[in-house]
Amino acid sequence: MTPTGPSIALIDVDKSYAEGGRTHAVLTGASLTIAPGERVAVLGPSGSGKSTLLNLVSGIDLPDAGTVRVDDIDLGGLDERSRTQFRRDRVGFVFQFFNLIPTLTVRENLALPLELKGEDPGDRIGELLAQVGLADRADSFPDRLSGGEQQRVAVARALVHRPGLILADEPTGNLDVDTGGVVVDLLERLVADAGATLVVVTHSASLAERMDRTVRVDRGQLVST
Amino acid sequence: MAEMLHSDPTPGPGRACLLALTLLLAGACSEERAEVAAIGSGLSLVETLGGADTVGYARADTARDFDFPRDHGPHPDFRTEWWYVTGNVSADDGRAYGFQFTIFRSALSPDAGEAESAWATNQAYMGHLALTDVEAERFRAEERFARGVPWLAGAEATPFRVYLEDWSLAAVDPGAGTAPFPMRLSGEIDGARLDLTMEAGKPLVLQGEQGLSQKGPEPGNASYYYAHTRMPTAGWLVVESDSVAVEGLAWLDREWSTSALSPGQVGWDWFALQLDDGWEMMVYQLRREDGSADALSDGVLIDPTGQRVPLEWGRDVEVTVTEEWASPVDGVLYPAGWRIRVPDRGWDLAVTPVIADQELRLAFRYWEGAVRVVGQGEAGVEVEGRGYVELTGYAEAGR
Amino acid sequence: MRLLTRSSVRYWLGHRLQTALSILGVALGVAVVLSIDMAIDASREGFRISAETVAGRATHTLTRASGDVPDRWLGVVRRDLGVRLSAPIVEGYARSDLVSGRTLRVLGVDPLSEGPFRSYLASAVNDRGMGRFVSDPFAVYVSSVLADGAGLTVGSDLPVTAAGRSWILTVAGIIDPIDDLQRSGLADVLLMDIAGAQDLLGSVGVLTRIDLRLDDGVEPTLDRAIAAGLLTADASLDPIGTRSETLSGMIGAFDVNLTALSLLALVFGMFLIYNAVTFSVVQRRSLFGRLRAVGVTRGEVVRLILREAAVVGVVGALVGIGLGVLLSRGLVGMVSRTINDLYFAVSVRGVEVDPLLLLKAASLGVGATLVAALPPALEAGGANPRLAALRSEIEVRARQWVPRIAAGGLGAAALGGLVLTVPTRSLIVSFTGLFLIITGLALATPGGTLVVVRLARPALTALLGVEGTMAARGVGASLSRTGPAIAALVVAVSVTVGLGVMIDSFRGSLTRWLDGTLQADIYVSLPGATPSRAAGTLWPSIVEDFTAHPAVVGHSTYRGQRRVEGGDVYDLVALDLDPRGEAAFAFLPGSEPDALSRFRAGDAVIVSEPYAYRRGLDVGASVRISGEHAGVDVPIAGVFRDYGSEQGTVMMGRVLYDRLHSDRGITSLGLFLVQGADSEAVVTELLRSVPEDRSVIVRTNDTLRSASLEVFERTFRVTAVLRLLAFIVAFVGVLGALAALQLERGRELGLLRATGMTPGQLWRGVVAQTGLLGLAAGVLSIPMGLALSWVMVYVVNKRSFGWTLDMRVAPDILLQAVVLAVVAAVLAGLGPARTMAKTRPAVALRGE
Repeated sequence: MTPTGPSIALIDVDKSYAEGGRTHAVLTGASLTIAPGERVAVLGPSGSGKSTLLNLVSGIDLPDAGTVRVDDIDLGGLDERSRTQFRRDRVGFVFQFFNLIPTLTVRENLALPLELKGEDPGDRIGELLAQVGLADRADSFPDRLSGGEQQRVAVARALVHRPGLILADEPTGNLDVDTGGVVVDLLERLVADAGATLVVVTHSASLAERMDRTVRVDRGQLVST
Repeated sequence: MAEMLHSDPTPGPGRACLLALTLLLAGACSEERAEVAAIGSGLSLVETLGGADTVGYARADTARDFDFPRDHGPHPDFRTEWWYVTGNVSADDGRAYGFQFTIFRSALSPDAGEAESAWATNQAYMGHLALTDVEAERFRAEERFARGVPWLAGAEATPFRVYLEDWSLAAVDPGAGTAPFPMRLSGEIDGARLDLTMEAGKPLVLQGEQGLSQKGPEPGNASYYYAHTRMPTAGWLVVESDSVAVEGLAWLDREWSTSALSPGQVGWDWFALQLDDGWEMMVYQLRREDGSADALSDGVLIDPTGQRVPLEWGRDVEVTVTEEWASPVDGVLYPAGWRIRVPDRGWDLAVTPVIADQELRLAFRYWEGAVRVVGQGEAGVEVEGRGYVELTGYAEAGR
Repeated sequence: MRLLTRSSVRYWLGHRLQTALSILGVALGVAVVLSIDMAIDASREGFRISAETVAGRATHTLTRASGDVPDRWLGVVRRDLGVRLSAPIVEGYARSDLVSGRTLRVLGVDPLSEGPFRSYLASAVNDRGMGRFVSDPFAVYVSSVLADGAGLTVGSDLPVTAAGRSWILTVAGIIDPIDDLQRSGLADVLLMDIAGAQDLLGSVGVLTRIDLRLDDGVEPTLDRAIAAGLLTADASLDPIGTRSETLSGMIGAFDVNLTALSLLALVFGMFLIYNAVTFSVVQRRSLFGRLRAVGVTRGEVVRLILREAAVVGVVGALVGIGLGVLLSRGLVGMVSRTINDLYFAVSVRGVEVDPLLLLKAASLGVGATLVAALPPALEAGGANPRLAALRSEIEVRARQWVPRIAAGGLGAAALGGLVLTVPTRSLIVSFTGLFLIITGLALATPGGTLVVVRLARPALTALLGVEGTMAARGVGASLSRTGPAIAALVVAVSVTVGLGVMIDSFRGSLTRWLDGTLQADIYVSLPGATPSRAAGTLWPSIVEDFTAHPAVVGHSTYRGQRRVEGGDVYDLVALDLDPRGEAAFAFLPGSEPDALSRFRAGDAVIVSEPYAYRRGLDVGASVRISGEHAGVDVPIAGVFRDYGSEQGTVMMGRVLYDRLHSDRGITSLGLFLVQGADSEAVVTELLRSVPEDRSVIVRTNDTLRSASLEVFERTFRVTAVLRLLAFIVAFVGVLGALAALQLERGRELGLLRATGMTPGQLWRGVVAQTGLLGLAAGVLSIPMGLALSWVMVYVVNKRSFGWTLDMRVAPDILLQAVVLAVVAAVLAGLGPARTMAKTRPAVALRGE
């Protein structure tokens, strides 16, 4: 499949947070370009701004200065509602914890992004669940699943509405090596099938190795390696 | 009309009075006519009161030594009593008017309730006042009801006074002592006011046997009855703020009784005629359910000196209906023209209403109106006259 | 948003206690508001319906300001005013043992005048009963409602007492009401002939009024008839309803006071809802974050929360309506009893469920829910999808807000104080001020709580060791959850304090007033429609006999009349005052020193404080008093303290009254006994001289005093009920907050258990924490309660009723408040504490 994922460009981005009365600068003049369909791993110590990068790329947060562009869209130029709309249509998220809505079943969790987008699920959910090997758990609530199963559902949910951009925040951080491997396999395969652009924040060198490129967050800068 | 009671147990206006009062008690009044029909239960009381329930009342069972002026006043022990004035008057310019002024007294129970309150009385009064404006062809009629308390209604012999709110019939000079005459009649009705003074004219006539008018075979089933049949009348009518001086003749009937209703009779036609030659005629015909005239129908002639000339029904007097009129309310037919003959004495009179619609559409519905008389009177001499006719029992609501 | 909705439904189903408490909060608030509304409405309706049913189709009434209408005026109306459709009415009250607890309304009519007015008379009449209307003046017609209730049939005897005499009436007919209006309007009516009614009510020769039907609407003028001497100058022709509206208006202040109190319950309900919704938002913080990340907009989140609140509101309102209808059945008796005691005779048979009232209460409930849910909803919408919001951070932020909120609250309270200084008699303004103060102080409570906790921490630590410290920290650390609950508890307790102090002050003032006012040793009056009101005048023979008793050395006579003139209601009293009774008057400053002697001479009147206050009059101003023949303008020489009538009383010397009226009646009599006489014994002797079929109420000073206080206590029974309800709502609020806290702290507590804390220690810690909350609430509620009572005593009471009370603060009320708050909080905390203590560490830790 030809790549359909967007390109991403961060240009001279500054971002800081107020914490207990002090300002903590996370990114300072950071720039990064990601090609369409590229798979990038983001590495860096805790608190270095890895998650901030994901928040900026998804439009959850806005930079204090600089530009974040996804394809031709300048996220800074969108209002809150449009950014939410952007996420809804074009971004799939996989987090370390708390991926799923506990009050919805596995099937419903997968249906939610489609419903938000106004799409008819059709056979999509069933197919995806089969692909992640959980077809028989469709009607279970998330708390009945093991951590690995939950993450597999999370991967499926991130892709269910066919977003061009998949953002994953330590998707295996909470899992043992074997289980984590299964989840990463799945993520890789599905992203590849969709031709999506993938940004993974991780501590795992082995996971990073499997990506096209690795970006390191270092003292507020983004350094490709 | 009262004379018919002379020989018939059906009380004329007395029945009307009781009936109307009954309906009134039952929540009906002239304004709530719709309710009148609705409250049928009230009628059974008429039967009760009119029929058996005479216990406790005084009865007209013996000849009476009439005592005037006392007998001009009320007789509260008797169940029913009335002061009934009808008359024809006219203005200088020839405009003619008829009027009817009646105050009925009715004892609603034999005794007044025992209470300190002045309202504790068994006496009730009903008034009917009607005015016929011949030229304007307009007929006005109203009724009133009131309890026999001094500030509303009552009757007194000396000085003479019978009144119901602002309708009154009273001695002109209360200080004059005994005589009710001259007598002043005053009242207001729907934009018209009557203020008429009446002289006695001829002496009063005691009807029946010396004023005891027997109505049925049983003793006590009778009334006391007298009349003034030709009272010269003069005064003012104010009609729609137009004051008219008028004069003419009036007729007063006085009767009190505790009578019983008679089954089988539906109503009566009553004639009181005053002729230019000084004679009066009073004739009534009781109608039975089958339309025939009851044998107890009767008549009398009064000569210019006031002497009674009784007529025997079925032999001396003959009444023929010549004309009919339909009430605009429901098309009920009333007779509206008569030929009355007393062949032996040469009388042959044509009687015609001055206007057709003189129906009193009150709680008790009947026709009572002024009439014109033309024809031959005593000894067949050409004569003209005026009078009043009462027709009851034709319309539904009146029964 | 089907899935979002499903998600929130599952959340609330999973948190049943929280859901139930929120619904209960709304329900209780709605129930209290609705029930008070319904009870007052039912009383007003009862009064209106009976007035309307009795008025029938009358359009106007002719009455006389200074007394009853003479019989003969009916003749004047018909003859001279030319109003043919007119009917005399004699009306009054009677009581019967067969119809206990209710006052019967005697309606005396003239059947010959009735046709155009009251059609139900027709249904009274059947061929058995009709003839008796006139022949037996003591035959009565009753509605089938009354007949069925009292077991009456045609021919039954109906024993009654009226105007101090006993009668045996006979039932002559039964009226079948044609509709519901008539059913309730006639429910307590004894319809009888005017003659019998005059005898029964002791009003021979006079009518209560004359009903007129002016179909063309043209009112005849009375001037000519008055000039001609046919009517007296105080005759007055008014559209029907004017009088009853004026009377009905009397309960306005009473109504507003109760309604305000009931609204308080709704405010507490709002606290509850705020609490529950806030908690649900906090608990789902990360969930909302995920939703936002997935692409749910901020507006969608806010709407989701509001939708949840709306459902809670609607369900709560429905439950509240049910509860309220039930509650109103209990309250209506108390409310109508008070109205009977203090204002006018009203008979309320049942509570009509008026859809409009239900709608009003429901919208209030749903509206309040939405308002309460709005702040947490906005907070949820603002939840940053960064998922970063840590619990401690929220608390830190909450605590940053505490001083600001407290400052805002104090500002609001100050504004409320300012509003109260607005010189107006408007109760709406007063209550707005009061509510501002309450709300403001409530907002300041979290700040206050922190202060109290800081002060209490050393003691707690000393007492309970580490559990104590943890409890104190726990209160501070969970302020965002417990704050609203504490505020609700503080408001509830301070309202209890405020009302307690107010009622206590009232009772004290009343007692002192009674001590001063009741100077005579024995009081004599006729039994009235209600025990607290006399009706009719005493028989002269009894007055003579009583005053001639050897032990009696002096007496005062009292002639009271309620006057309804030109939209104004007041009590007029003609007093022939024995010198021994002069001390009865406590004149307010500004009264003329010779007020009493001018009053005696008939040169001036004295008026009660409410009279002067409500009409803005002062000493020197003059009042217009209508008399039989002419009115007079009399100056006010003094204003005296009085708690007897909120409408106000004008007192004049009997001399002046006799100049204005031919009425020589006396409504009550005060007897002064020789020194050392035994009042009780004299009462017994006096009663022995009363003829058997008459009854007179003869009471000693003490008896009358305690009877008056009894009425007072009864009056505040409704208040007590409302106070209790408000308190229950607050209690439920605390319970809910603590239960929520327990859920939230499950993990933490599990951890504590896992690290070795015993269940007992845990239990003590939790109870200590809730006790501390209660203590804080109790301590904070004292100044707030005192502020409230001050406002109620000096502002609300004055403006509502026109009288000044002396504020009295009994320390036990304050102590009770603290105990109450602590006990309530501990009780509310017991259940959750037990559950927490019993939590197995593994389960608690597993969590999500």
